[in-house]
Amino acid sequence: MKAKRKKIRLQDISLPTDEPLITIRADDLMPLPPPLAREEKKDPYPSLSEEQKKRYESSLDGVSALSLPKPRNKEEEEKLVERFLRGLEKLLSPNDNWLFWQPLIQSLESCVRCQTCSDACPVYLSSGNQEIYRPTYRSEILRRIINKYIKKRGKILSKLTGDDIELNWPTVARLAELAYRCSLCRRCAQRCPLGSDNGLIGRELRKLFSQEMGIAPKELHESGTVQQLRVGASTGISPEAFQGMVEFMEDEIEEKWGRRIKIPVDKEGSDILLIHNSGEFMSWIENPVAFAIVFEAAGLSWTLSSEIYGYEATNYGTWYDDVQLARISLKQVEVARKLKVKKMVMAECGHAHKGLIVIADRILLDEMNFPRESFLPLLEELVCGGKLELDPQKNNFPVTLHDPCNFVRLMGIVEPQRRILRKICPQFREMEPHGVENYCCGGGSGFAIMSSMNFKEWRENISSRMKLKQILEAFNDVLDPGIKKYVCAPCSNCKGAIRDILASNGLWERHSIYYGGLVELVANAMVAMKKPFIDWEWH
Amino acid sequence: MAKAMLGGIEIEIDEDGFIQEPDKWNKEVAEDLAKTENVSGMTEEHWKVVNYLRDYYLKFGIAPPVRMLCKQTGNDLKKIYQLFPSGPAKGACKVAGLPKPTGCV
Repeated sequence: MKAKRKKIRLQDISLPTDEPLITIRADDLMPLPPPLAREEKKDPYPSLSEEQKKRYESSLDGVSALSLPKPRNKEEEEKLVERFLRGLEKLLSPNDNWLFWQPLIQSLESCVRCQTCSDACPVYLSSGNQEIYRPTYRSEILRRIINKYIKKRGKILSKLTGDDIELNWPTVARLAELAYRCSLCRRCAQRCPLGSDNGLIGRELRKLFSQEMGIAPKELHESGTVQQLRVGASTGISPEAFQGMVEFMEDEIEEKWGRRIKIPVDKEGSDILLIHNSGEFMSWIENPVAFAIVFEAAGLSWTLSSEIYGYEATNYGTWYDDVQLARISLKQVEVARKLKVKKMVMAECGHAHKGLIVIADRILLDEMNFPRESFLPLLEELVCGGKLELDPQKNNFPVTLHDPCNFVRLMGIVEPQRRILRKICPQFREMEPHGVENYCCGGGSGFAIMSSMNFKEWRENISSRMKLKQILEAFNDVLDPGIKKYVCAPCSNCKGAIRDILASNGLWERHSIYYGGLVELVANAMVAMKKPFIDWEWH
Repeated sequence: MAKAMLGGIEIEIDEDGFIQEPDKWNKEVAEDLAKTENVSGMTEEHWKVVNYLRDYYLKFGIAPPVRMLCKQTGNDLKKIYQLFPSGPAKGACKVAGLPKPTGCV
């Protein structure tokens, strides 16, 4: 029997207590299909230690994504609340927020509270409809704060209408965490009959916290964008380290393909500058290796860059900070301009597509607006246009496709990856829903790399839960561990998130469910390969 | 930042137990870090992995690609997991005194 849940109201965000507004229990969670249906249910994430509770804010749901230290006294609290309010004014000013002011205002003003969005949200559904994860919960609170504290005569009017929210430190601290309970997948925005984008509102909140208050997850800011601007990549790869990795890739290529090639690096005037998420080199180097094999086999004019900023597609600013977003985009484009290539092509990284191809359009003006494209139409041309000799029988195992939100929902790139898979994977099967209706991997917007305290468990058991369910359903007829299966996830963040849910549920060991990118399947199907490209070795 | 006694000296560590003062790393520190990662005694095989990671880190300031680590030390990933149950990044890198890996890894 489920325990009756305490009803959470909007006003509760201001409760001056350290107690979390909710604690999610095993019974709350959306059930999973076989083989996980009968497993003993456990609570989704552990409580913080007493020491952690004392030091960090966790009064939203007992989770800390931000390691946000508690203010030392009332005075400090008041200062922080004041900075929040000043930052909020900036968000609402077209001069200060020229990048996102228009969609933010549109989203704030058009909501009619119909709640269509809630049923679209994987976090809300997976958590068992927790009120605080409703896409409109944070937006409505923000709207009421604006109405009361920023609009003229707001204080009187909000008393009269009863839409009163008290802006105190607990409100601010909870909103900071709540901005990191939405993976910015924008499924809610797609469903909204009025086009209100609650994902965007969450992202703008993150921006307020970062730019005005210096509050951001360490993984995204300090060891993310700050490190990238200092060293060249969010992984810390320097140009010298990168050179060594390219040589290692050439060894790998020789081993698999039987051909020794020189990977083009810094080749001026090439048609294509290919940019990978640098996490690929560290964790999944077979992905850039597969790209090199496929591009060479097809005879493309292409190059990698070993220049600082030229070998890293990530731009975590996309998720939380416009200033960092702009700084990094400009550096990346400068590399391509100096190399005099015809265009930049983003490899398997979803947020790099969003950051550099889409959003940066508003940052890169005139001659800086350099041609930038997704790898997907190009790869389709190579696979389906007869540029490669391929044998689909080499991929004769069940394959399902995870759609990175930024390819499908944001950019509308839906069919190229499917035409590729239909051509080279005889046992390709869709997960449901898919394409522009897809569900986030749960690792979006930086979640895949955030691991502060109990956040990783929150992600694996709540934000990734819908994806886990979809993967199991897609393979429900082939769960036999004798049959190797492949979840194709053409994005570094998605791969990381999917790796973690497969690992923590023992799905590789017990049911042979493996994961990897898209171009690896293309390389695996190439007739000329000396050895099978895919190793089926867990990593 | 928290501090821990490792190898008889006090060293700053992060939330996940990675040491924050790489200069203080030595053999004894590694042996104590290994205990925190369920490594039952450092053998020659462990040291081979740790020394490779350490050398790479001193040269480039980061950990090597996972596959490079396997190839260069002659271990497959399964073996690395046997040696360091929490894996190459969280286990082996921590014992070698490297900071926690960053980026989309």
